[in-house]
Amino acid sequence: MKHKNTELKCIFVIILLLFASFLVIPTLNLLVKSFWGDNGFTGEFYTAVFAGKNFKSALANSFTVSAAAAVIAVCIAFVIAYAVHYTHLPGFLKSFLQSAAVLPMFLPTITYGFAIIYSFGRQGVITRLLGKQPFNIYGFGGLLTGYVIYTIPVAFLLIHNTMGYVDKKTITVSKVMGDNNLRTFWIAVLRPLLGTLAGAFIQAFFLCFTDFGIPASVGGKYDVIAVTLYNQMLGGIPDFNRGAVVAMIMLLPSVASIMLLRYLERYNIRYDRISQAQLRPGRLRDTAWGLSGTALSLLMLSIFAVIFIIPMVQNWPYQASFTLQHFKDVFSDSELRTIYLHSLSMALLTAFFGTMISYGAALITARSSLHRRCKQIIDSIALITNTIPGMVLGLAFLFSFTGTSLQNTFLLMILCNIVHYFSTPYLMMKNSLSKMNSGWETTAMLMGDSWIKTIIRIITPNAIGSLLETFSYYFINSMVTVSALVFLAGARTMVLTTEIKQLQYINKYNEVFVLSLLILFTNLVAKFLFSRLAEYTSKKYAYERKRK
Amino acid sequence: MLELKYIEKSFDGVQVLKNLSLQVDDGEIISILGPSGCGKTTLLNLILGILDADEGQIIYNGNDITDTPMEKRGFNIVFQDYALFPNLNVQQNILYGLRNRAGISTEKEIAELIKLLGLEEHLNKRIEQLSGGQKQRVALARTMVMKPHILLLDEPLSALDGVIKESIKDRIKTIAREFKLTTIIVTHDPEEALTLSDRVLIINNGEISQYARPNEIINTPSNDFVRKFILNQLEIKRNNIYALFGGFSAPAVMGYTV
Repeated sequence: MKHKNTELKCIFVIILLLFASFLVIPTLNLLVKSFWGDNGFTGEFYTAVFAGKNFKSALANSFTVSAAAAVIAVCIAFVIAYAVHYTHLPGFLKSFLQSAAVLPMFLPTITYGFAIIYSFGRQGVITRLLGKQPFNIYGFGGLLTGYVIYTIPVAFLLIHNTMGYVDKKTITVSKVMGDNNLRTFWIAVLRPLLGTLAGAFIQAFFLCFTDFGIPASVGGKYDVIAVTLYNQMLGGIPDFNRGAVVAMIMLLPSVASIMLLRYLERYNIRYDRISQAQLRPGRLRDTAWGLSGTALSLLMLSIFAVIFIIPMVQNWPYQASFTLQHFKDVFSDSELRTIYLHSLSMALLTAFFGTMISYGAALITARSSLHRRCKQIIDSIALITNTIPGMVLGLAFLFSFTGTSLQNTFLLMILCNIVHYFSTPYLMMKNSLSKMNSGWETTAMLMGDSWIKTIIRIITPNAIGSLLETFSYYFINSMVTVSALVFLAGARTMVLTTEIKQLQYINKYNEVFVLSLLILFTNLVAKFLFSRLAEYTSKKYAYERKRK
Repeated sequence: MLELKYIEKSFDGVQVLKNLSLQVDDGEIISILGPSGCGKTTLLNLILGILDADEGQIIYNGNDITDTPMEKRGFNIVFQDYALFPNLNVQQNILYGLRNRAGISTEKEIAELIKLLGLEEHLNKRIEQLSGGQKQRVALARTMVMKPHILLLDEPLSALDGVIKESIKDRIKTIAREFKLTTIIVTHDPEEALTLSDRVLIINNGEISQYARPNEIINTPSNDFVRKFILNQLEIKRNNIYALFGGFSAPAVMGYTV
């Protein structure tokens, strides 16, 4: 084409510089740090880390508890998704099940740990209801519970989405062919979902393996690799080289998980339209799945109930009378108010600039005639950001920007969040833009539009729903993230999640829960607003409605 | 007059157009006809300016426009899927180009165009509320408002059925004749090409098989490809109709003589 693509080339250069500076160089820096000692290149840090008495057990523990949690989370997510798609349960109950399954996404993982302590601890709400402590919360049991709650939303969303597309008529076909119930369940439900179930397992495993929030609160003496990394860096005797080694080792299973995930994608059965189930009435089936799904959801919600209960009583468990004093204390504390504003500003700025970057990147890959190599580079960036755990990125930033003017700044935290969460918003935007009519730019150009005018007048109005989704994704994740920021937030740049980590040290759990509730409500309000806005725009623009 | 001289185009080492030359006279309706992958859309895109030729020249009214950017050639296209802007209503779509080139068409001309294409009652509708034929007419109106020197139509009838197809075919002819507009149509349907155009360019494997008036193609096909691929398709259609209904005369049904 004769068009010079100047604007797109500029966007490409900006994206390239951004990710070179804040992804590639810091990660390479981390790699070098793991091999470079006072006397030059050495493998001694790797040897030392592997020789450490706790390291191997921490690694093994991470694998064991992550795998166990992933299996349980996928099973629970399957039960809830099945109840939503394959039963005649009333609409309100299906809505409840869906909402309950994704609720944990709106809270930081560090809160789950404290919720578990106050639910299943010796003086916990559920322990008191049951009369005895069901399991030891510090260690495997606590981690497992926390991880399961943490990964149910992701597993549910993946399974729920695929289940929507699985052709439900195959159930009828299987039945009329004479299959028994078990065979029908296999051929028409389970088999088409195998790829997704495996994908959900790997995704859940990856999230557990790299999470820091849950082990930070209920890990106890059951060491996992995330805690080992934290202790190497910010523990009593920090050792940056060994920290870099642990981060590199943490990176390996993450890379392997994502590679496996991409490999498994090709085995997914693809359907091109959403299929509604035409099920025969089955009271027993509906009752069984309805009860199972509801029981599992309620169990999960009961753990979160303490977040509401604890800050509303005087002094749990000794003075159980109702009070709003803890809320008043938090809201009258100007420091905590400032921290809340920090979080809110950081999340909004991350969402705004993150959306711009994702949009720009997706415009290049989905709607430009730039060279294939440029598009491959952007896709590779997305793949790399998907494989790098937040803790590893945070540590890489710590190594690369300590001593620079970016140290302890919100700008650095915003950049870290943009890079950390880039993959999903970029893919969302790319998917949306590539579905739009490929002739729009040419048509608008023939009508005298410049590229930028076409983007403003045509592409953006039609992509507004996806832009809002992207904004919402960045916002919510920025509000709840702790793993990367724990290395980057300074005294003047505290945000809610890192403050929660600080409050844990001084046992101020009322404040922890009030701040967690603040995050939850902020996210729910944000989600509500963005959904309404997206709904409004999708009604306005026909294309978007068709797309969804 | 539009002239293409010795045009060559390859993609990833595969030659799509081979040493192709042709002339299109002013006001002519030309159809580019051929099987899938023969290079007809590539040829259309080269004329429009979306693609650059590897070799050869494109000359319009004596000026070499080979290196002229698409937006400065003064040609316009109606895409197969119309590329209407769904965030704008019918009227806003039709008037879109006037935001950049105010006054290119007068209000009277636009009103006449809208009337000619039968779009008066649809002006305030959203794009999603239109049928396929209505969308096609909106896209045609939007393009015509820009007064293109050459109108390019990429498979304009492929998404339409029966009666609507015939009606759009008539409108395209009317527009082309009324505005004395050079019109180049890409199609894979021999019947469409032969009944709609003054001349038909038949392409096979990137080369011109025949470039002639419809009656010449039917009466004196230049080679086996034209005979087998193009005319056999018409024969099959005709025989199917005879087999189903008998008694109809082929010309009355199909609009051509074999």
